[in-house]
Amino acid sequence: MRRYVLRRLAVGVLQALGITIAVFFVIRALPADPVSRIVGMNPTPESIAQARRALGLDMSLFQQLLTFLGFHGNGVFTGSLGTSWVSGSTILSEIAITLPTTIQLIVTSFIVALAVAIPIGMATARRPGGKLDKGVFGYGLFAGAQPEFWWGLMFIFVFYFKMGIAPAPLGLLDPELTAPDAVTNFILIDSLIAGDFTAFKSALGHLVLPVLTLSFLLVGPLLKMTQQSMSRVLSSEFILYQQASGLEKKSIGRSTLRAALAPIITLTGILFGFMLSGAVLVESVFSLNGLGQYSVAAVLNLDFPAVQGVILVISVISLFVYLGLDLLLAKIDPRILVK
Amino acid sequence: MQKRKIDPLLLIGLIIIAGSLFLAVFGNSLAPYDPQEPVGDFSMPPSADHWFGTDGSGLDVFSRVLAAPRVDVAIAVTAAIVSAVLGTGIGLYAGYFTGRFSEIVMRISDILQSFPVFILAMVLVTLTGRNVVNLIFVLAFLYTPIFVRLTRSEVLTQRTRTYVEAARATGNSEFQIATRHVLRNSLAPSLVQLSVTVGFGILLTAGLSFVGAGVRPPTPEWGIMIASGAPNIILNEWWTSVFPGIAISITVFGYAAAGNAIERWARK
Repeated sequence: MRRYVLRRLAVGVLQALGITIAVFFVIRALPADPVSRIVGMNPTPESIAQARRALGLDMSLFQQLLTFLGFHGNGVFTGSLGTSWVSGSTILSEIAITLPTTIQLIVTSFIVALAVAIPIGMATARRPGGKLDKGVFGYGLFAGAQPEFWWGLMFIFVFYFKMGIAPAPLGLLDPELTAPDAVTNFILIDSLIAGDFTAFKSALGHLVLPVLTLSFLLVGPLLKMTQQSMSRVLSSEFILYQQASGLEKKSIGRSTLRAALAPIITLTGILFGFMLSGAVLVESVFSLNGLGQYSVAAVLNLDFPAVQGVILVISVISLFVYLGLDLLLAKIDPRILVK
Repeated sequence: MQKRKIDPLLLIGLIIIAGSLFLAVFGNSLAPYDPQEPVGDFSMPPSADHWFGTDGSGLDVFSRVLAAPRVDVAIAVTAAIVSAVLGTGIGLYAGYFTGRFSEIVMRISDILQSFPVFILAMVLVTLTGRNVVNLIFVLAFLYTPIFVRLTRSEVLTQRTRTYVEAARATGNSEFQIATRHVLRNSLAPSLVQLSVTVGFGILLTAGLSFVGAGVRPPTPEWGIMIASGAPNIILNEWWTSVFPGIAISITVFGYAAAGNAIERWARK
């Protein structure tokens, strides 16, 4: 078990590093000039040379990579992702503010989506071919590919503008409130720490529409997977045996769910990794200032350290999520470790 | 012979796909107004003259919705076909002739698939230049590994079948067996994926321009149109964003439906 985790971690860290180094070279190989953004209009040759030196772009590519990794002072290996070429603050401090917002959005959306998808999926698996079954099929097909940013806008139009039951889609809190002291940067948690329930309620309210948008789409594939997995287990011999032995319905249900859980968890992990960067469109519709919006700004400003930092952080998080889910799977179904 | 019933899902999907391809070719000529020139007052609600109203710059929304498939659908279809052809070819080779090349290909596609897709697309498009041709290249590049993986795993199961033995026994060369017989039997997953990939390509194209990292305004493109209407939707100016969004929603549903129907048909 320990060896398995260590091996996975080692492979994963190498992979994340590989991705980051690939990104490092790719963004420098492509024909875009970050210096022209910084020196402004009508630059003198001296100011261009000075800017290149300040950004470290006058060094050879290989030296730049060594600097980035931390062989000359602070770098990835010493826990630094460098400073932004646009704002001048460290990339880590900027990610520390934006990442929790994104995680909070995604985790809440997954909780809602799973709470809807699993019970309905279980119910339809018991009655295949029924009305609910057909409805679920249609919904899963439809929600599998939809423009989430447009749905977000539609929800804003209906629930904020027409019905007035959702708060204005601008940021994490009502504008007249002062944000609670930043401890974790998860605004829900920070407002609880500060004991500020007005802020907590406001933050929760601002989360409703973005979470509705994301879970509206996430429910589709999760529902389909729950249904498939459940009906496969329901027709398996060990469930038949349990039924024949006269076990209680409740306990049969529990073992069915347990046996059916693995593919659902795997899919959740894949979707979670995808959402880390895929939530960007919903973030920008609701002006949430999460990691996604940060990455858009970084790319459009040609802020190379920020781009590298975001991609490295997302890769590392997905790595831990996949590992954590695999450990969870092994706990549910120990046969996995034997293979 | 039993009379075949056509899957209604396939029918809906094919009608929507045909419509989207038709508009990709003729949408511009069908548009009642020039989609890039102001034609009337700003932000006018739908009327007899302007069925879908006009946007904040006085452009006719209906004309722009009709003209947009020339960008959105054309990019997604071209990119999907390029990646399907490339990916199927590479996957066939890597699956049939297993060896070092096969290993290298799989590791590269592993790494490509573990990238955060949206950010990578944004980076590649922004740094190569935000235009239609670059978008096609970037999308094709991002989607190729999916086809490699699908084809390779199908080929791996096909190459041990008896018909391969038979073909070999009757004197076919390995190349002939791979391209004539194994390829034909390994195409189903890629065909399903092709349709699905077009849908995702349209979503990615529109999403990129929605955040300002795709083709440039005032190109008639659904994502740009939604973005331009977004700030005004809370001022009751809903038509600028609603109509292009419905267009995307229906189009990607059509490609998903067709993909699903083909998959069910192939499984029979």
